[in-house]
Amino acid sequence: MNRTVFAIGIVIAAAVVGVLFAGLGKDPAVIQSPLIGRSAPTFALQEVGTGRTIDIAQLRGRPLVINFWATWCGPCWEEHPVLVATARRLQPNVQFLGVVFQDQEDKILGFLQQRGTSYPTLVDVKGKTALAYGVGGVPETFFLDANGTIVAKYAGPMDADTLQANLMKAMR
Amino acid sequence: MLAPLGKMLILASLLVSAAGALLGFAAGRTRSREALLWARRFAYAFAALMGLATLTMEYALLTHDFRVSYVEHVGSRLVPTWVTIVSLWSSLEGSILFWGFVLGIYIAVATYLTRGQYEDYQPDAIGVWLSSAAFFSFLIAGPASPFGVVANPPLDGPGPNPLLQNHVLMAIHPPFLYLGYVGMTIPFGFACAALLRGRLGHSLLKPLRASLMVPWIFQTIAIMLGGWWAYEVLGWGGYWAWDPVENASLLPWLTATAALHSIVVVERRGILKGWTVTLIQATFLLVILGTFMTRSGVFNSVHSFTQSAIGPTILAFLAASILFVVVLLAFRIDRLETEGRIEGAASREAMFLVNNLLFVLLTFTVLIGTVFPLVVEALKGKQMSVGRPYFDSMVVPIGAALLFLVGIGPALPWGRATREQLKNALLPPLFGAGLFAVIGYILNIRAPWTLVTLAFGGYAAQVTLGQMLLTVLQRTKRGESAAAAFVDGNLRRGRRRFASYIVHGAVTVAIIAIAVSSSMRQTTELAFTKGQTLRASGYDLTFLGFEQRQEPHRAVTGARFRVARDGKVVATLEPKMNQYQMMREPVGSPAVYSTAAGDLYLSLANLDVANESVFITVYAAPLVMWIWVSVILMGLGALFSLVPARRATAVQSRESVPAAAETA
Repeated sequence: MNRTVFAIGIVIAAAVVGVLFAGLGKDPAVIQSPLIGRSAPTFALQEVGTGRTIDIAQLRGRPLVINFWATWCGPCWEEHPVLVATARRLQPNVQFLGVVFQDQEDKILGFLQQRGTSYPTLVDVKGKTALAYGVGGVPETFFLDANGTIVAKYAGPMDADTLQANLMKAMR
Repeated sequence: MLAPLGKMLILASLLVSAAGALLGFAAGRTRSREALLWARRFAYAFAALMGLATLTMEYALLTHDFRVSYVEHVGSRLVPTWVTIVSLWSSLEGSILFWGFVLGIYIAVATYLTRGQYEDYQPDAIGVWLSSAAFFSFLIAGPASPFGVVANPPLDGPGPNPLLQNHVLMAIHPPFLYLGYVGMTIPFGFACAALLRGRLGHSLLKPLRASLMVPWIFQTIAIMLGGWWAYEVLGWGGYWAWDPVENASLLPWLTATAALHSIVVVERRGILKGWTVTLIQATFLLVILGTFMTRSGVFNSVHSFTQSAIGPTILAFLAASILFVVVLLAFRIDRLETEGRIEGAASREAMFLVNNLLFVLLTFTVLIGTVFPLVVEALKGKQMSVGRPYFDSMVVPIGAALLFLVGIGPALPWGRATREQLKNALLPPLFGAGLFAVIGYILNIRAPWTLVTLAFGGYAAQVTLGQMLLTVLQRTKRGESAAAAFVDGNLRRGRRRFASYIVHGAVTVAIIAIAVSSSMRQTTELAFTKGQTLRASGYDLTFLGFEQRQEPHRAVTGARFRVARDGKVVATLEPKMNQYQMMREPVGSPAVYSTAAGDLYLSLANLDVANESVFITVYAAPLVMWIWVSVILMGLGALFSLVPARRATAVQSRESVPAAAETA
């Protein structure tokens, strides 16, 4: 056996695999938003279907999940059942809100009727709320603790585990 | 039901590839003829099953069968048919299926072409190929299955990523890349077989080189197409960003290029056998690494497929492959006996060695730059990125040194050379070096590295042309006609040599074009109102107005510009903004006016349709077109070197003799 070749090979292999393995645990979708640790921008928007206004300032006192989405976004379809099921399970300890922007109300209603929902969906008419939260694409989800402070942000569709992991941060 | 059918085909391919791999290795150990025959049959069966599975998926896509999970994921009734067809590789699961399909073709063709020959090596090679096939079948069957059954199929789906629908190059770039990537499995199999046998005989060099050259050609073209696509679509006027996934395609290409050179030394001198085998194995490992990078979600990039669970699976395969290769090399590398040695520092084989070291250095440079952000994040918990400056400052000198070798390597003779020979070989091309640098200086090039690149390029160009004409000159001295000498000396007998100089010439052009176009690029930002004419980089641009149209899957807004040079209208350009239904941000399409001298490139930055005003970025860069042309020429040159001797002779004698007779 050629010990030199073996030693060099193992060192390079261990380094490369080790670094990649360390990278696996993390997720590039977890974005370090400047908003994390700060009080969430407030907004009051109308709910789809009912037209009633929901003001997030009045929702303090329990963790809040704000999910930005749209019906034209494929990954949002994937994520939708996960959100609906989790919201239903955690009611009334955690509040979920959907915020839809750049979309049409009839499409949103059709989508929600076909696929069901368990929490209010608001329409962000001119995208001002999305702008205030620095949303770069949909879906994007913000996690607020009971004091209204943003504790985490996730870009991209979440599965049940990802959602749970981020919720833990908000429930601490 | 198509989904269960596809699933069944994939499970069957997993079965035959696993069984075939075991049989192949068994045949390698026991020399059993029967086992080898069955291993071959299983290899063909794998290819057939993968082909059928892929056809099933294409059928499901074309018939919009949303009961199949992959179709639900990427299908849409709105997109044009060509987009539906290429959707096969537009998302993770389908792209892995496509990988399996390409692997099947490669394995079947390689098995067929080596049947009855190389019986020493074939069993183990089939074992290695089918092991890789078994892994990918497993991926398609389980973690990345495109054939899931959708319980409540929707009436329509979201369609593939709009960025991938924006240009037809997207239909061509991925298949070329897969043909390059996947094809590296074949030489890997031969290299492993050589180590398992403990012997790299002269007879194996031919299939080893050919099986490396074919995917190398595809990979070369694929890298260029990727750059070209970025240039034509992304709108920032460049073609290479050192994006992790671009690097992933470059890394195996670098080691494969090194291996193609070291094989020549093995052929000529019988040395560097273990080294060559190592390079080929590294190439395959880098391919798997690249697949991990694009599929794991660890890196963020244009190319990243969405978050997926298959990262750990691919990483496990990569770790297992590396371990297999390291152990194999450690135990067997010393058995690959060396037959000769390097005679002197100023010899061609020594230059091959330097070339190889530079390629390996370049590989490590790019690899480190790519994974460094991960290291930092693992150690310090900070997000960072390694930008252009690192890559440019490291890669430019190494690239220039390689260009220098393109010149100096072929100028040097094999073996030991006398002082007189060295002088005669090395001094005359200094003329070419000076000529190119002076022309560059006159044309206002002042960047030091660009002038150095031009000088090295001029040296290389003179040497390459000299070598191309060498045989012709020798033969015309003996009284042959120039045409006959060229046909017989370069196209027929010395084809491989001549072809390698075509590639070298093309590389020289490519490197010069890259250096000049990137250092001489001008960027101007201009704001127009309708009818206004402004000047940028010697062109007069007039904004004619907007044009809007609605296409089934997108809304297009184009800004029309008249382009004039010296008072003469040369083109009308229409950079566009495309708003896809499925995407929030509009996707821009730049417009390019290309000439041999340089490109004018318009990209929309902002537009106000109501006020008929527009803000654009104008890029002007010389020689860009030569990058694409020269890389295609590299591929053609390499392809030419693969044409088997006998058939080419037949073609030549039919076509060229009358022509030669006329000139005589």
